[in-house]
Amino acid sequence: MEVRFKLNGKEEEVTTEPYLRLIDLLRDYFNLTGTKEGCGVGECGACTVLMNGRAVNSCLVLAAQANDSEIVTIEGIAEGEVLSSLQKNFLTYGAVQCGFCTPGMVLSASALLDQNPNPTEEEIKDAIAGNLCRCTGYKQIIEAVKETAKETIE
Amino acid sequence: MKNYDSIRHTRGESLFVDDIASPEGTLFGYVFYSSVAHGKILNLDFSNAWYVDGIKGIFSAKDIPGENQIGGIVRDENLFAEDTVHFIGHPIALVVAETFLQAHEAVKKIKCEFEKLPAVFDPREAAAKDQLIVKPRIFSLGNVDDAWNSCDYVFEGSAESGGQEHLYLETQASLAFPIEGGGIKIISSTQGPTTVQRTAAQVLALPMHKIEVDVIRLGGGFGGKEDQATPWAVMAALAALKLNAPVKLILPRQEDIRITGKRHPYSSDFKIGLTKDGKIIAYEATYYQNAGAAADLSPAILDRTLFHCTNSYFIPNVKATALSCRTNLTPFTAFRGFGGPQGMFVIESAIHKAAQKMGVDPSVIQKKNLLNEGDEFPYGQKTLNCHIKKCYEEVETRYNPKEIYQRIAEFNEKNKLVKKGAAIIPVTFGISFTTTFLNQASALVHLYTDGSVSVSSAAIEMGQGVNEKLRMIAANELSISIERIKIESTNTSRASNTSATAASKGTDLNGFAVIDACKILIERLRKVASEELKQTNPEKIEFKNEIVFHAGEKTGLTFSKLVKAAYSKRISLTAQAHHSTPNIYFDTKVNKGEPFAYHTYGTAIVEVTLDCLRGIYKVDSVKVVHDFGETINRTIDLSQAEGGIVQGIGWMTCEELKWNNEGKLLTDSLSTYKVPDIYAVPKEIKIHFLENVPNPFGPNKSKAIGEPPFMYGIGAYFALVNAMKAFNPNLDLNYSAPLTPEKVLLTLYNKRQIGRE
Ligand code: FES
Ligand code: FES
Repeated sequence: MEVRFKLNGKEEEVTTEPYLRLIDLLRDYFNLTGTKEGCGVGECGACTVLMNGRAVNSCLVLAAQANDSEIVTIEGIAEGEVLSSLQKNFLTYGAVQCGFCTPGMVLSASALLDQNPNPTEEEIKDAIAGNLCRCTGYKQIIEAVKETAKETIE
Repeated sequence: MKNYDSIRHTRGESLFVDDIASPEGTLFGYVFYSSVAHGKILNLDFSNAWYVDGIKGIFSAKDIPGENQIGGIVRDENLFAEDTVHFIGHPIALVVAETFLQAHEAVKKIKCEFEKLPAVFDPREAAAKDQLIVKPRIFSLGNVDDAWNSCDYVFEGSAESGGQEHLYLETQASLAFPIEGGGIKIISSTQGPTTVQRTAAQVLALPMHKIEVDVIRLGGGFGGKEDQATPWAVMAALAALKLNAPVKLILPRQEDIRITGKRHPYSSDFKIGLTKDGKIIAYEATYYQNAGAAADLSPAILDRTLFHCTNSYFIPNVKATALSCRTNLTPFTAFRGFGGPQGMFVIESAIHKAAQKMGVDPSVIQKKNLLNEGDEFPYGQKTLNCHIKKCYEEVETRYNPKEIYQRIAEFNEKNKLVKKGAAIIPVTFGISFTTTFLNQASALVHLYTDGSVSVSSAAIEMGQGVNEKLRMIAANELSISIERIKIESTNTSRASNTSATAASKGTDLNGFAVIDACKILIERLRKVASEELKQTNPEKIEFKNEIVFHAGEKTGLTFSKLVKAAYSKRISLTAQAHHSTPNIYFDTKVNKGEPFAYHTYGTAIVEVTLDCLRGIYKVDSVKVVHDFGETINRTIDLSQAEGGIVQGIGWMTCEELKWNNEGKLLTDSLSTYKVPDIYAVPKEIKIHFLENVPNPFGPNKSKAIGEPPFMYGIGAYFALVNAMKAFNPNLDLNYSAPLTPEKVLLTLYNKRQIGRE
């Protein structure tokens, strides 16, 4: 079946199988391997992408559902070589260890900041509650998001 | 300073095994395993599986060209079960197909009949049946039997600590493909590339040089990929060899949770004797380690329980006995702390119990017994540069526990249904593999003619930041910009006979090797520089920030020019160095020696708030003073410590493994096995770096950081118990972790006691 969608700012058109998940389409067809599979059942958030600006688990979305939508993956977050301020703050605050959860975290946090540029700590937590990290202890991630919000507001 | 890999991580550009562009024609594997905990295989029928589209091969024990053996310490573990299965999840066959879905489909079509045999899941029951992995291990100091009489108080009790699933976010993963000359290259998410290489060679009946293992990075390891990345890598290699095609084997999350090993559950008894004023005179403990169905690393983990049986205390009379009990569960394995946390939990339980009975705060007993310089551990080593008292006292001055206790008492006075509790936990952790020969590593450094530098070592990057630390060490040693330095993947053809990156020793061992290799290069470059500068004494040459100095004077010669000059003079720009930790030994016959290069110290105070109606709780704060030595990289060390603390709290509180009566793991998904999520994070984590404590035994005076902070999590357990006591002072508790909200609630209302049922 035909799927037409905007991927990281570019119009794309592909033929896919009905059973294929969005994560498979992104990873296997477009080679966008920044989208990680941590569980495959919507419980870890490693596969998070933005679909029409909202963070979704791409392991729970069928590729066909992406039709007519706008998808942004982690590869579409930086402007070329220049990191987004959120990405920069992830580095500064040591919010990154093994990095497996990082793309999903960055995307969930981006979605939040796009919709709510000045979130409270609780709102930050709610936004990334679906993203598991086994390495960091989350503190640094919350701090990185907070700082980004602060910078944008200023 | 950021982690070297982290820029690519935030861009989604870093590659994990499953992200590597697979070679053309890559096939996919899926493991078929036992559904009974103990049984005879009566009939194994693959015929229906062969009808599945895309199926390429099914491999079981009889297809193994070499030995069907993967046990490292004890040869008691098959790659594939032969006629008997020993746990649910025991691999029986690997199915390989063109796609992952086809392989999975075929696995579902395999028929296997078992004749069930009696199974044992409880370590004490296993011990009673003499099902021990190794002979009991005993560490002792002084003479406990004589000491009990001189004690004013003697208390006995038991303590249980549960297992823990690693839940590395990247599941076990490997990709194997045939290479020229009948060899196999394996890309694996392993902490132990040589273990994979050696085991694959043994199973495939190939010499080790025909197996090349390459590791880029791991999406988390925590010990779970020290030994247990091996079977999957070897299975992929076997299929690749047999089918002459690339084979990828990635465990889906649920399978990974079901069939791979976890932290060992322990059941232990203790007896503690003290004087009236809280001095511990004697301590006796027996640990029943649930090893699961095969030895794996259990004997070494058992030993570390003994090494840490007295945590941060000097106790003159100790007898600690540890039994590794064979049960019919997945072979348990390494997990951050490696048996140490289990040992510490028992002594802290004993101290807590004694304090309760004596009517004092546990901190009174803790403080009375902290290690002093020169004190002897039960394994014969004496403390050197012992900072535990400094850490404990610094916690007192910085965080003021008295005031905290006061505040909590007032709060508890005012609030009926919400209670607070606090606990202090000192941690002393020995650094080195206690298996002495493992304390070695190597590094290979290339200087290229354009001035860029490549560093290879035995260290595996799994999020702990070892790559960045090695880069900093090399930049410092060569006195060049860090940007010139690239850390290569860990590859068995560049670093041979590696020890796993484990025991918090990655940076220590490999860092020293990198320093040594750089020193060799510096020596050569000095000579070249003195020739270039027409000087006679290379000793007068120095390098500072990429510039060559002679006799303290800046010269026009730079690092890049010098490298080119060396090349023209046909001087080798490659150096390899091997490092082994000096002066350590351990005699396992008498269980005495100096197994550790040094110890790391720290103390934390943990505060919790408990909702006594619902049993739910919140860790309010964890305030720490930790001895990092002289940190190489503050950001990395801090985030290692914070991550470790949260994982330790998880082990003690929410992470509960449950099996049914048949030995089937019930908590086999992220929705049933609860690791700390973002809401579980302590509201406040404060970590103070103990000042002026250079470590003479660490690279650039640093200390290892991977494991020790994990044990601060034990503080959360006792803080919770104290909050529970505030609600119900008559609570008679046994010590049993994890203290899940459910268990808290039942205990609060004396519905069921904490502890073994
Ligand atoms: S892989 Fe999609 S939520 Fe875990
Ligand atoms: S950094 Fe490893 S899971 Fe988050």
